[in-house]
Amino acid sequence: MSGRGLAPDASMVVFPISLFLPGSDLTPLRERKQEFYEGLTRWAPAGGSAEPESSRMVSVDAATYEEAAVKAGNLVLANLWGDGLPVQPATKARVDWILRGSPLPRSHGIGKFPPRGGVATVEGCAIALAMAGGRPEYLPVLVAAVEAFLDPHSDSDALQADSGSVFPVIIVNGPIARQIRLNSGFGCLGPDPQHPAGASIGRALRLMQQNLGGALPGIGAMAMYGAMRYTNAVFAEDEEGLPQGWLAHGTERHGFGAGTNSVSLIFANGVTNIKRRSAIKETSEGDVLQGMHRIADILRGAQLGCLVGYREGTPGVLLIPQVVAQLMAGLGWTKHSIRQFLWEHSRVPAEHLRRSGARAWIEIQAPESLDLDPWPIASKPGNLVLIVAGGAHPTNAYWLPGCCPNVIGRPIRVPESFDCLIAAADRDIGCGSQECKI
Amino acid sequence: MITLEFHDPTGITDVTQRHALRPPSLNGKRIGFLTNEQWQAYYALPLLKEMINQDFPDAEVLAIDAFPKGNEAIGTDETARRLKKSGVDAVIIGNAA
Repeated sequence: MSGRGLAPDASMVVFPISLFLPGSDLTPLRERKQEFYEGLTRWAPAGGSAEPESSRMVSVDAATYEEAAVKAGNLVLANLWGDGLPVQPATKARVDWILRGSPLPRSHGIGKFPPRGGVATVEGCAIALAMAGGRPEYLPVLVAAVEAFLDPHSDSDALQADSGSVFPVIIVNGPIARQIRLNSGFGCLGPDPQHPAGASIGRALRLMQQNLGGALPGIGAMAMYGAMRYTNAVFAEDEEGLPQGWLAHGTERHGFGAGTNSVSLIFANGVTNIKRRSAIKETSEGDVLQGMHRIADILRGAQLGCLVGYREGTPGVLLIPQVVAQLMAGLGWTKHSIRQFLWEHSRVPAEHLRRSGARAWIEIQAPESLDLDPWPIASKPGNLVLIVAGGAHPTNAYWLPGCCPNVIGRPIRVPESFDCLIAAADRDIGCGSQECKI
Repeated sequence: MITLEFHDPTGITDVTQRHALRPPSLNGKRIGFLTNEQWQAYYALPLLKEMINQDFPDAEVLAIDAFPKGNEAIGTDETARRLKKSGVDAVIIGNAA
């Protein structure tokens, strides 16, 4: 509704989930029929006229700064603006500082965050980034991520509310990744004080999903479990680790020129570690082949989120570390041949689909594939997103199963003063170009 | 005394289209359904149709499948045009659509 300019409230009659389950007792529906009749006749929206153009300010008073900070934190939680972790108050000074990270005016509108329809602006991004503990040099990535999120083809309006615990995965390409300390190596999907950018950017995006979009658990967002949602997943492709001839994801999927700063948005609904290394002494070829079969076995566990992106999206994101990518490339594997192998070997026997009732879902979402036996998890191998990332270690690969109708790319725009921001970061938090490496 | 002032992160909402005006009563009105065919809509919506027929005998309640069905179809501009063209005075959308 918000996407069509309507007020976010609507005439509806709400029932507990039990009414919507097979074999449910519909007596409550009979008992409340008058609410339906009133919704069709007497109901009127509560309000929803346009509000002031600039962001509202709130304030707390206290005897000391420490007490004021505590009060501010309490106010954030009481207003349902936080995520349960400490937030930094988005003061005017802090937001103005972060806004140095964008060449766009603060009032520049990006779109409306579904389902609530809060208008996302560059200032709104800076506010969220301030709350998330971010820095100015992260803002260009966040703005690009929000642009991708609000692209109509991302289907974020449906996925925001989905019960399947969908979360955005932002893959960054280009030199900006190293400049802002975005992780592509060990622990790239988790916390790392050596590479703090991903956590802040992902957390800021989540706060915007919640505060602008209304995606509160059980209210605006029906995700049953909500894993990965504190920070979503924001990381960089390990472009230095790409084998000769392997294109960067932003180039391969979105056509961005080599060396272009870009983001790629994919919606996933889980994470799975895949132990790919051989347990015993094995030839390189044997190790790789066994690992590929193990990966295919995981991909074959059709959790049906892949149906959302069956035609043009992706069944998921496979991360392989650079040491494995280099090994495989040395044996003649390419990104194309890896995808082809995994697509072929992850196909699901029709009998498995029948006994699990998956056929009924496929008939709704990908009917053109219904009669394929074995059934491929995507319409074509090229839909699989393959990324070189992760610690330089051969043991594991990582799979993020997708729920993603389209993979959305956006270029990242930085201000002319970006180098100054990077220099300031070196002074503030150190480690810059000499970040720790294992 | 310290005053700590900070931004409200919820942004603004921009309403550009009003919700449809409601008829004063369902008597003599034309009522349609949009079904996403999910969440037991097969049982709930026919029951609603039956109750409206009983309580408003002058109302014309269209068949549940008179308009496009399923999540992908019910939210399109084309479906909205068909609804408007059909002359319905009210629409019930379900379930959990």
